[in-house]
Amino acid sequence: MIEGILIGLGTALTFQNLIMVMVGCLVGTFIGMLPGLGPMSAIALMIPIAIGFDPAAGIILMAAVYYGAIFGGSTSSILINAPGVASTVATSFDGYPLAKSGQAGKALAIAAYASFSGGVIGAILLLVAAPRLAEVSLAFQSTDYFALMVLGLTAVAAFAGKGQVLKALLMTVVGLMLSTVGTDQTQGIQRFTFGMIDLLDGVSFLLLAMATFALSEALMSVLKPVGEADRQREMDAQRSVGSMAVSRAEAAEIAPVIGRSSLLGFLIGVLPGAGATIASFLAYGTEQRLAGSKGSEFGKGSVRGLAAPESANNAAATGSFVPLLTLGIPGSGTTAIMLGALISYGIQPGPRLYLDQPEVFWSVIISMWIGNVILLILNLPLIPYIARILAIPGRFLLPLIFFFSLIGVYFVSFNTFDIHMMAVFAVAAVILRLLEFPMAPMILGFILGGMMEENLRRALLINNDSWSFLWERPLTFWILIIAAAVMLVPLVWPRIMRLLGRRREGAGEGG
Amino acid sequence: MTFSKDRIGALLMLAFCAAYWFLTYQIRMLPFQADSAFNAQTMPEALAVIGVILCLAILIFPGSDAAPDLRGYKWGLGAAMIALMVFYGYALRPLGFLASTSLFLIGGYAALGERNPITLILAAVPIVFAFWALMTWGLDIYVAPWPEALSGGTGG
Repeated sequence: MIEGILIGLGTALTFQNLIMVMVGCLVGTFIGMLPGLGPMSAIALMIPIAIGFDPAAGIILMAAVYYGAIFGGSTSSILINAPGVASTVATSFDGYPLAKSGQAGKALAIAAYASFSGGVIGAILLLVAAPRLAEVSLAFQSTDYFALMVLGLTAVAAFAGKGQVLKALLMTVVGLMLSTVGTDQTQGIQRFTFGMIDLLDGVSFLLLAMATFALSEALMSVLKPVGEADRQREMDAQRSVGSMAVSRAEAAEIAPVIGRSSLLGFLIGVLPGAGATIASFLAYGTEQRLAGSKGSEFGKGSVRGLAAPESANNAAATGSFVPLLTLGIPGSGTTAIMLGALISYGIQPGPRLYLDQPEVFWSVIISMWIGNVILLILNLPLIPYIARILAIPGRFLLPLIFFFSLIGVYFVSFNTFDIHMMAVFAVAAVILRLLEFPMAPMILGFILGGMMEENLRRALLINNDSWSFLWERPLTFWILIIAAAVMLVPLVWPRIMRLLGRRREGAGEGG
Repeated sequence: MTFSKDRIGALLMLAFCAAYWFLTYQIRMLPFQADSAFNAQTMPEALAVIGVILCLAILIFPGSDAAPDLRGYKWGLGAAMIALMVFYGYALRPLGFLASTSLFLIGGYAALGERNPITLILAAVPIVFAFWALMTWGLDIYVAPWPEALSGGTGG
């Protein structure tokens, strides 16, 4: 491991890569702060630029954009009560009341320290967990990978939230369907190409990610612009950030909260599909219960209530890299986009990454530490200035987001057909967003689709075209059983509870 | 049965899945390819079946009964931005990067409410030139700056 850390330090501490981390953190904070644009859009927007660099530098840049965007999302949650992404919603519960009471500076500082600590603790745990898991997963066969991908996809849907499970599953299937467009990898047969040369290579991952996230979010902002009242709130927030000092008593109060929430966040982040949103809400709820009499302060500007979700969502963001780096299976929409970018580099994440390209594996882990330090020492003092970006009128910002999204994809393919295809996908994504169908499961399904089909086909070849491996190989069998349970429990459990409740009511009336 | 967001979405997706299912039968394979246990049609067919089942499940058990509220949206503006994107796709090669992108940005700013012609030009043209210079000289990504007619038809 020491050797790995040295490799990582050697790669991450080069001048070019340090610049990557700095630029990534700043750009990520900037994009994450814009209402509507979250880490997924931020990473998608950076891919065309990142592809121009070597893999380690490109991945470091995207990882830095990732933490920067999460931090930026927290900033807009605290300053204007407009969480750019779901994972920073819990931050606004106590961050915004603090800002309203003239303590925006303190709230931003606590958010920054908590994010930093969560990120660093997460990175330490990643350092320990990732190589172990990579060693274990070397024993995995294609049948197990197929089962793991099924588990990843069902888990994303299962954690989608109340009333969203079926929709998330459907969107996963739609993503898998889109991944089948183009030339079949093994037999060389055209599928769903309508005889068009432009579709022979299938739909590009970058195109789909840009159209369904960056473009559709920009289109949503065009369709429903920010009102004048919100604009005034933004202006007021930037004028009065106030002192950033945190007292010793407050630091002592939040230190154990940060430790607990970081551990919880990391563990949840490792689970496929769970991710930063669930981690932040769970940490918030846990700390509220643990706070005893001080629990009543939550939601009114409690420093504990701010530190808990902030450290948990950053630790979870780091934790979500564990399945990506060790199994090659993304645990969230954001890491799915990172996986797509890695594949564009010709890198196949998985247990072999740790052995074959240790510089990429370790430099990503080390860059997380550096990224967190940079976020703290560079972004925190700059926040009052970066926050002014919120004052740029939407009529100038939105066309630029459209332009960067379109040209980012065009610069990879140099095919204007892609611009038209993006417009079509963006319109479809807007319609689905208006109907509250989630987009992240679709991108995850799209990215895993090709690999899933390949692993299933390989598994069948190894097993002489027999499907018996699904139940004969214990590891595959149990992963599939877990996948089925993960999918069915959220669907069936509420109905069972409702039924039990009705029976109890009936028994109460009868007795 | 109420037409909730979930049900409308499920109906749209059902149409998509049905079309996808129909198209799976248009995948042309040679006889020996079609005979293998897992061929190019296997996964699409399975996905189409699962997709249709899920759509029907959402239609029968929708997660919420909330009806779509389409008031307060600026549909015309959205359509204008989509039209601009389509125009940009068609104009990029014939007009060249500089002219087409400047027109795209000016059109976007104007559609979203900027009326001052000087501001429109100043907020678009310098950004486009700076971006093109950064791409060409900074990142070595070449894109034809001038109209195809001027550069002899060798678009980037």
